[in-house]
Amino acid sequence: MSIDRCVQCGSCVKLCPMFDATGEEQFSPRGKIYLLKVMDQIAEDKELAKDFRRTLFQCTLCGKCDETCSSGVDLLKIWHQQRANAIDTAPEEFAYLDPLKEALANVKNIYGLAAEDRAIYWLDELDDEIPGLEDRVYEKGKTADVMVFLGCLMSFRSSQMDVLKSLFKTLEKLEVDYLVMGAEENCCGHPLYLIGNETGAEELREHNKKVMQDAQAKKVITCCPGCLIQLKNHHNLQGIEALHHTEFFDRLLETTPKYNQKEPLSYHDPCELHRILEITKEPRSLLEKLGVEYKEMELSCCGGGGLLRMTDPNLSDKIIELRKAREGVQNTTVLTACPSCREQLLSTNLNTKDIVELLSDALEGGNK
Amino acid sequence: MKLRDVVMGANASMYQRMDFKKIKGVYYPKTEEEAQAAIKHAKENGFDVVPKGGGSGLSGACTGGNRERFFISSLQMREILTISLVGRYADVQPGATPNEVNTKLEPLGMKFWVAPSSRDVATIGGLVSTDGGGNDTWINGTMRDNMLSVNMLTYEGNHLIIDKNGVKSSNVELAEELNKKGMNLDDIAGAHGTLGFITEIRVIIKPLRETKTIGALIQFDNFDAMGAGILQTIDNGCPVEYGEAIVMAHEDVREGLTPPLLILEFPKDFELVFCNANVREISRKELTRLQDIRIKLPKRNPNVGTQIGLFEGYGLYGDSLEHMGNTIREIDEVLMEHELAPFVKYGHAPSKWYLGNNSPAYGLVMHSREIRPEGKTGKEIYRAVEDIVKKCEELNVTPKPEHKWLYSDEIKKARIQELRAVIGSSFNSFIFEPDCASDTLSSMV
Repeated sequence: MSIDRCVQCGSCVKLCPMFDATGEEQFSPRGKIYLLKVMDQIAEDKELAKDFRRTLFQCTLCGKCDETCSSGVDLLKIWHQQRANAIDTAPEEFAYLDPLKEALANVKNIYGLAAEDRAIYWLDELDDEIPGLEDRVYEKGKTADVMVFLGCLMSFRSSQMDVLKSLFKTLEKLEVDYLVMGAEENCCGHPLYLIGNETGAEELREHNKKVMQDAQAKKVITCCPGCLIQLKNHHNLQGIEALHHTEFFDRLLETTPKYNQKEPLSYHDPCELHRILEITKEPRSLLEKLGVEYKEMELSCCGGGGLLRMTDPNLSDKIIELRKAREGVQNTTVLTACPSCREQLLSTNLNTKDIVELLSDALEGGNK
Repeated sequence: MKLRDVVMGANASMYQRMDFKKIKGVYYPKTEEEAQAAIKHAKENGFDVVPKGGGSGLSGACTGGNRERFFISSLQMREILTISLVGRYADVQPGATPNEVNTKLEPLGMKFWVAPSSRDVATIGGLVSTDGGGNDTWINGTMRDNMLSVNMLTYEGNHLIIDKNGVKSSNVELAEELNKKGMNLDDIAGAHGTLGFITEIRVIIKPLRETKTIGALIQFDNFDAMGAGILQTIDNGCPVEYGEAIVMAHEDVREGLTPPLLILEFPKDFELVFCNANVREISRKELTRLQDIRIKLPKRNPNVGTQIGLFEGYGLYGDSLEHMGNTIREIDEVLMEHELAPFVKYGHAPSKWYLGNNSPAYGLVMHSREIRPEGKTGKEIYRAVEDIVKKCEELNVTPKPEHKWLYSDEIKKARIQELRAVIGSSFNSFIFEPDCASDTLSSMV
């Protein structure tokens, strides 16, 4: 078993955002692996076993431990498997996840809102500013080269509206042949994947895949690295390339107008983007083309991953607060490229922009 | 039992199985006052106290054996309290790592010059307790050479400040008694947490070097040639700033290298000459790659099976280094008698360490990993350790030099017991169990 390969060297302890926030070893990757190694000694203690199951969900699944491990331990895989085992073993301890599961089963989004409302909120807000946007919403029979997969956060959260506006404006400006999945979009399945519910996730993916095929899309783009993990690695999209929006625009644009930078900027690179998907060049390439100066933030989690906002919101808050205090970015605008990271940054009152907002501004105001 | 208690067993040694019911509590103090309160609580309940740092050592000392005990973890005491550029020192809490300290120092053009391979997790307090060193110990010395004083709390609640000249304390009588015994920093270095809980260390800091250095890869035909080569660097006083040996490596982790070999970094204007060796200058990029291969060796596994670290380290010096081929052969014979297939051997060279009588030794601090045999019990594997210790004594190899393994270093052990008789004897007591705590340790593999 992979856990036997862990030599307990401890290199994953201090870099773990959970350990950083709590300072206690049971939250660290090494601690959790150790507990798995001695599980035969402690499993009979019901309270201990229950506590252990809880700690499995006190993790952002940021992958930093997995990236650091030199012993060949598949840490991320272990965390996924163990989460699934925990829910199978004691479903009653995870009843708080039932509304999420039910929402995804019934209305195919994490908020439990009507499926047909996916394209309502932002369309109401943006239709005047982006004429013809309604026509971009997918309906049976429509086709396009590019399908835009917004994901649940960007479909329903008003806090994402500026990013959406910039995304659509940029697509329009660049005359991209695109459609938005709209009411036909199911959740990508990422939340279920994070709790080890592969069956539920697969049902959601099947529908998405069919819609994209029906639309004859050649590419699907998304701003959400979590959605991209699903689209790229789990949707089995044959002949349809899944891209992060920064990848798509970076490929499309050899040069861009310069962004009229008036504020100090810093860049928070989303864990799922750089560590899991290994997309590191394109966001920075776009920023370079835009001519912006920015400070690279530590490659560390914002606290928003792994469903931690749902499983332990206090820890999630603590992680972002610690980073905010440590990195001194209060007087900067924190750039990112992930709706979930954006929510975290906003929750701690940091100014934040998605890279596409800079691109859109540059295209609007700059000279091509 | 609580999860936070059980997880105290997490550490890099092979001593991982324990009776968790005997762990009576865990404290993560942030301040000296909190540590003081934790010790007081342990004392009131009559339990042993085990200080724990990063848990990256292979000795198992941080497990506290299998007694009823309280743990005090230093992991939340990681502040860098003072940096004095004029005084060339920094006051640090025990849970800070060398990397954390140097992150603060480097923008100031300064560095704390102790570089163990585990510098990302090994704590400064742990380095004091093991008298740790690293790839630059040859020129920078071990932890004891890089500290000015240590603040320590005893089981009886006394606060001691120990430097190279002696002990100060508000308990004047105690300080006087300890000074009569000549207690100083040498006693704290490598004491394995048996004397008290370290709350603060004044470490020496020095400017970052501006010397231009180059890297070299030195390949030897055999172990004897390697031993002779290391002795040559020592005899010539080579100004090696980074020195690592890869003695042998299983093909799964060798990455195209052909050991035995040395990876050295030294000043550009130094003329490096080796007899009976193939010396090749390497680019900065290749040096970095080799350093990375080396630093990961202790963590790697074979493609099939897993590795096990039996033993903290072998100190090869004098005869045992001169006849290195014989030394390695005899060690491997013992390992193979126990069905432990050698996996990797590597270490710092040229290097320096201190013997139990505080005199320095110079040579190769060699670490070793073996492939864990299928179907062997913990007790059976532990027997290999006992046999290795015996073999090391026979070969004049210092067992576990970097960590001065108290279990077998009778001089150091006797000295610590002398001091414990004065300041209290309830810190990490299992180390003083009869027969080098073999009964306890063998049950923990």
